Amino acid sequence: MYIYDAFDHAFARDRVREFSDQVRRRLAGEMTEDQFKPLRLMNGLYLQLHAYMYRIAIPYGLLSSRQIRKLAHIARTYDRGFGHFTTRTNMQFHWIKLADAPKILEELSEVEMHSLQTSGNCIRNTTTDQFAAAAKDECEDPRPWAELIRQWSSNHPEFSFLPRKFKIAITAAKKDRAAIRLHDIGLHLTPEGFDVFVGGGMGRTPALAHRIRTGLSGSELLSYLEACLRVYNRYGRRDNSFKARIKILVAALGPDEYKRQVEEEWATLDKSRIDPPQAEIDRIRSFFPAPDLASRPFDAAAHERAKTADPEFARWVKNNLNPHKNDEYVSVTVSLKPIGKTPGDVSHQQMDLLADMADRFGNGELRVTHEQNIVLPHIAKADLYDLYRELDTVELTTANIGKITDIICCPGLDYCSLANARSIPLAQDISNRFADAAYSDKIGDLSIKMSGCINACGHHHNGNIGILGVDKQGVEFYQILLGGRADENAALGQITGKGLSAEDVPAAIERVVQLYLQLRTDESERFIDTLERVGRPTFAEALHEPA
Amino acid sequence: MSLHNMSLHTLPKANSAYEPTLIDDSGARLDNGWTLLADDEVIGSDGNYILSFERALTELDGLNGRYGVRLNAGQDVRQLAPWLDKIALIEAVFPTYRDGRNYSTARILRQDYDFKGPIRAVGDVLRDQLLLMLRCGFNEFIVKDRDAAEALASAKARFTTYYQSAADAHRPTWALRHKVSA
Repeated sequence: MYIYDAFDHAFARDRVREFSDQVRRRLAGEMTEDQFKPLRLMNGLYLQLHAYMYRIAIPYGLLSSRQIRKLAHIARTYDRGFGHFTTRTNMQFHWIKLADAPKILEELSEVEMHSLQTSGNCIRNTTTDQFAAAAKDECEDPRPWAELIRQWSSNHPEFSFLPRKFKIAITAAKKDRAAIRLHDIGLHLTPEGFDVFVGGGMGRTPALAHRIRTGLSGSELLSYLEACLRVYNRYGRRDNSFKARIKILVAALGPDEYKRQVEEEWATLDKSRIDPPQAEIDRIRSFFPAPDLASRPFDAAAHERAKTADPEFARWVKNNLNPHKNDEYVSVTVSLKPIGKTPGDVSHQQMDLLADMADRFGNGELRVTHEQNIVLPHIAKADLYDLYRELDTVELTTANIGKITDIICCPGLDYCSLANARSIPLAQDISNRFADAAYSDKIGDLSIKMSGCINACGHHHNGNIGILGVDKQGVEFYQILLGGRADENAALGQITGKGLSAEDVPAAIERVVQLYLQLRTDESERFIDTLERVGRPTFAEALHEPA
Repeated sequence: MSLHNMSLHTLPKANSAYEPTLIDDSGARLDNGWTLLADDEVIGSDGNYILSFERALTELDGLNGRYGVRLNAGQDVRQLAPWLDKIALIEAVFPTYRDGRNYSTARILRQDYDFKGPIRAVGDVLRDQLLLMLRCGFNEFIVKDRDAAEALASAKARFTTYYQSAADAHRPTWALRHKVSA
């Protein structure tokens, strides 16, 4: 993974000093809360319902064992013993004291981490494919480009006070696991260069991004992004924060006109000052070599015996593994969605054990997924059962990846001051309803994504089943969306009928699921396939008929 | 002591509550020798006048001499391109420090048009944004701070690493790493 050089270390150190000074001035009253707010937000510090929430950047979701141990330490020392992974692949701590924040930032900088630009109207953490450098279907490792963007966007002087936040995602694979068309900018790296998609997003006005360029050379990526951002910075709306994302500008101008303005702006830029030389791209790439994987013969017969003896292990093997470029290896997804618990939460003991597992079996490397799970990207098949038994000691063997209980969920009204509804308890209720493993396996791949308010942190627009918490005259209820998907065939879910009470949602989902099981041609037809074949109205009807 | 007086004494004064000070990019205090004209005021035959953006667009063509122009956030600096040789000062307004549009304005002036005159940041200009402004090409500031010169000095000293190039002299980190120009 990328290792800081003297420049990066100096930047992190200066950043700690700057933020410490800002916190000191705020505590001394030299700054008003209004003036402090965007500065603390730029450093990932939110004032929430009960305490400060501190959001730590995990650039492109990549963590070393040393870094996750540090997160465990922070959870133990400054919080209540656990942390929460977000859909931006960052980590949030929900019970932080303002006075501790600079100290935490300093501890993070010891392991080359920070909280910079995890909030605020700036360029946020770039996300990517959680199986980068392991997946069979990628043309190259996208992470060096994400690191290039991280550096370019850090303290960017022109783009630190954009109309609204700005999120970039990159994939280099055929199958899109990074939901690029739901981002402000989505980059799809192909052997011909980058396809650039602009203007996607969720929130109040969901939109799929439009492709405005194909085959962009990596050597011109940053100047092209700079042109995209400049047009947005100058012309994005600032009169209404709900209309300020780039998707609104692209929709208002039309993608062709937006593209024309970007190309015109791009032509004025001195690319030689913005785009780094090939030597810098090569330097960053050198930190992401193909993993050095020893040949590990795999005893298939022993593996089958273990599966027969331990059906839970067999289920986990079936549901939580992804094929690897090297056939002796797999990528393992560790579910942070145990039945009936808070999606994305992880305890300090679990983080410590994950660090040990990464060191023992997986090149010391972990990834956070936007689905709020953890990936061990390079695990020898020969080690699977040993790994499984270790994970089992800290309840990290839930076998539900991509299944109905692998729910994406925002923190909701239990923590967040923006939320209208309690998303976590409802996620727990749904999870409990489908707790039966055989039932969940029979249903197969199905994504449920839930947000406690219109801001859509839980990505409800692109869940096969989306759930949006709303508040009407002081009563919480939930709108259900159907048909969303975040992959290479990205689609936005549609709201179906009127909202339901929290108590009615699990049964309504079960009716939809039962209808799917009746209508599917066979087991290979997934929920989303059946829904697209039969049409939403049929399913919407099932959703709203009385139990 | 009344409660009212007590709160006055115990509440510290925010830095931004101090009288704004005009400084240049070295921190030196400047006398403002410019007069901002309302659109219905007559342009005198001598003196330094700042015109509104709209007025500059319609009248600069027929004027001799050199003027200042005030750009509000959202006004397109590219429309002034034909008359830049008549413009001796650009005042770019930050209606609130959260409005970042004029960072782009300054970079376009410096890097696309090679504008050499002063670009002055006015409005909600606070110490925490001075570094961004310097980097984008601003070189005069009407700063709301108790000590404008110290605010500027501390902004300049804050970082040693600049990852990207902008309109200032700092070279991007990649140029330093590979000892190439940028």
